[in-house]
Amino acid sequence: MSRPIAKKAAAKGEYIETDSGNKVSRRSAITGTANITLGGRTVIMADVVLRGDLHSTRPTASSSGKEGTPTSISIGKCTVVSTGTVLKPPCRMSRGAPNFYPMKIGDNVFIVVGPNCVISAIAISSHVHIGANVTIHPFAVIKENVKILPNTVVPGAMVIASGSVVGGRPARIVGEVGEGWGVSGGGAGGGLGVGGGSEEKWVEGGDLRELVRSIR
Amino acid sequence: MAQAFPYTYYACDCYDSNNTSSTKRASQLLQEADEDERTFDPRSPRANYSLYPLEHLLYCEDCQQIRCPRCIIEETLNWYCPSCLFEVPSSVVKSDGNRCTRSCFSCPLCTSPMQTFSLDMAGDVAPPFILECQYCRWSTLDIGIEFDKGQGIAAQLARIGNGGKHIPTNKEREKERERRKEIEGRKSRDLLSPSIESTNTDPDREEGPPSHDDLFSNLTAFYKSQVDAQTPSNPFSSHDINFSSPSAYSRIMNLYSTTGSKKNKRNKPSAMREAASSLEGLTIYDPANDAAAIERIKKEGWGVTLSPAQKHAQIDPNVRFVDELRPLATLLCTKRSKRCRSCRQILTKPESKITSTRYKIKLLALNHIPRLSIRALNATPPIPVASRTTDTLHYNALNPGMPSHFLLHLSNPLFDPIKVTLATPSTTPGRVQSRVTILCPQFDVGANTDIWDDTLSSSLLPIKRGSITDQAPQIEAGKIWDRGRNWTSVAVEIVPGFTDAVGSGVPDELEEDEDVLEIAIFVRIEYETDAGADERGPGDSRGGKGEKERREEAFWTVVGVGRIKG
Ligand SMILES: [Zn+2]
Ligand SMILES: [Zn+2]
Ligand SMILES: [Zn+2]
Ligand SMILES: [Zn+2]
Repeated sequence: MSRPIAKKAAAKGEYIETDSGNKVSRRSAITGTANITLGGRTVIMADVVLRGDLHSTRPTASSSGKEGTPTSISIGKCTVVSTGTVLKPPCRMSRGAPNFYPMKIGDNVFIVVGPNCVISAIAISSHVHIGANVTIHPFAVIKENVKILPNTVVPGAMVIASGSVVGGRPARIVGEVGEGWGVSGGGAGGGLGVGGGSEEKWVEGGDLRELVRSIR
Repeated sequence: MAQAFPYTYYACDCYDSNNTSSTKRASQLLQEADEDERTFDPRSPRANYSLYPLEHLLYCEDCQQIRCPRCIIEETLNWYCPSCLFEVPSSVVKSDGNRCTRSCFSCPLCTSPMQTFSLDMAGDVAPPFILECQYCRWSTLDIGIEFDKGQGIAAQLARIGNGGKHIPTNKEREKERERRKEIEGRKSRDLLSPSIESTNTDPDREEGPPSHDDLFSNLTAFYKSQVDAQTPSNPFSSHDINFSSPSAYSRIMNLYSTTGSKKNKRNKPSAMREAASSLEGLTIYDPANDAAAIERIKKEGWGVTLSPAQKHAQIDPNVRFVDELRPLATLLCTKRSKRCRSCRQILTKPESKITSTRYKIKLLALNHIPRLSIRALNATPPIPVASRTTDTLHYNALNPGMPSHFLLHLSNPLFDPIKVTLATPSTTPGRVQSRVTILCPQFDVGANTDIWDDTLSSSLLPIKRGSITDQAPQIEAGKIWDRGRNWTSVAVEIVPGFTDAVGSGVPDELEEDEDVLEIAIFVRIEYETDAGADERGPGDSRGGKGEKERREEAFWTVVGVGRIKG
């Protein structure tokens, strides 16, 4: 895990690449970088807003014992956050004061979402595909291997069980992803068309390394 | 589920074979297809039931066939609540039903999950508690319910009716029934007293019509008593009478049989009667209820009534108005293993632990049959996301009458090289006729060998044309377009049909999705593999010097190319 501040002095491109291979767009809006961790080979695209400044204000009794910077957003490996997405840690009023809770996102999560859509889930597990224009209300929990269809609104505190396909406003379970979810099969590693009939080299819910590599 | 163009669906052939246990081999299938000259019609209503994305298909290695959700058998491993992730034993599911019995509820108005909140003014977590929907803000306060404790909401809710009324338990209902029976007994003894007076003093009238639960409990109690009365010298246990069990059935048949023994003749049973009063669970239709409902709708409008979906989701089927709604306990989920319907081979078996997403056994079709995909030839090289919008625009507006080129891409998951034959009807079925030509219908695809071989030999790859070099791409009949380690792509020429040629030329007459260009493609693969090597691995195919076995596989696919511009 590395903080995204450790930047390499690279040629002027769209992305700043960190030592662990994270690609962060120069045009992204990240506040409170000290409170954000990226797992490596994770992509933060242009106009993405990461509200790292919204961290817990409670006296941190951290498990590691050290009185350090509280984490507000942690993102795993090979996760892609697309253009315009807003990640905002969930907040709950406690004795008249707002208190923010850290947001955790797993590995190989593809957040397509898009402009001005706010994601405030408390936890998003690995191998999740979040479609365009999806809004996730505070404290929602998204388990592994979930597909959220475009234009869905996930209501607050909803727990989406692993293997579900959800859609609608408010979101409800509309199906199951199938046993082959995220499995690219023997077709991976060469050529086009690994994706479910489309031309991408990756599959929804699968390993996003190829996708991350192609973004530059 | 609507999918973005382009897409590929695979047809499982169980849709038109009446007998799923028939183990037809690919060659037979092909023969039949040849003989019948039958082609798959993606527009036929039955096609809906046989087309699946590749990720949803399994593969039976014994039958050497694709298995779709229709030709598998599911076995429930365990039940759990998707919200609190607690496992529910199947015995509890049988007795208490398939809903969470803890504190998980969803909103009766909008289906969102409901959360428990404390109404304590000081900000402490203290009673009273309510359930509230975070999406539409409906709460149990709307139906006048508050809870004393923050946990075990289901148990508390079972005792509180709307408006805070107490819901009697089964035992209390029993007592109440006894009490009323006594009252009625007294009344019937006093036959001469005026009947009008007695109905007026009936406590039943004051409380309104009995609830659905009351009637149900009365009815079950009545039938239980009837069955008990009919079988006084029952050697079997009388307390758990199951009407569907064979023993109960034979008991009932004995009652009616004419060839009874002398014993049975001695105490000849009277026939079972039906419920005759509300105490016995009889409901008499009361037009006053309907009149009151109509009156209420007149006064308060449609806003107080429920939508069909909301009404349907309620446990009580007689609910009509918003103030009768009850929070819905979350439905349980299952973990299931799947078997082949014809040979009972286990195809998938998840780990039984609720939190685990791993599988002990998982035989996927995508590891056994090639993946077929299509893309427009002139589409921008796949730069993800950014190009997405322009691409979808393209696929959503195909020019009618304009020959355009697409690439069919076939990748091979097997560890043996395959010979592929593609076939497609030259015109698509239906009213919007598009012409389709696969320029190279027969080709080879390399084996899915180790990934490192690919990187090593990538510089030596044959024929590399198209987007990478500056050369203008050349399309030649009979030649493949491009090839890699375990994939080959061929060009397809498609002339989208005219949508306005349909009917009288008014595009409005198009039926839904009639302008979608879908091509049915028959795929046949042929390969040689080590005989008996069912667990094929990269090592097996190379090291094995045993008998080679020729195998064939054939199936229909439907490729969704795009939507034709109107
Ligand atoms: Zn089938
Ligand atoms: Zn639950
Ligand atoms: Zn609601
Ligand atoms: Zn089988």
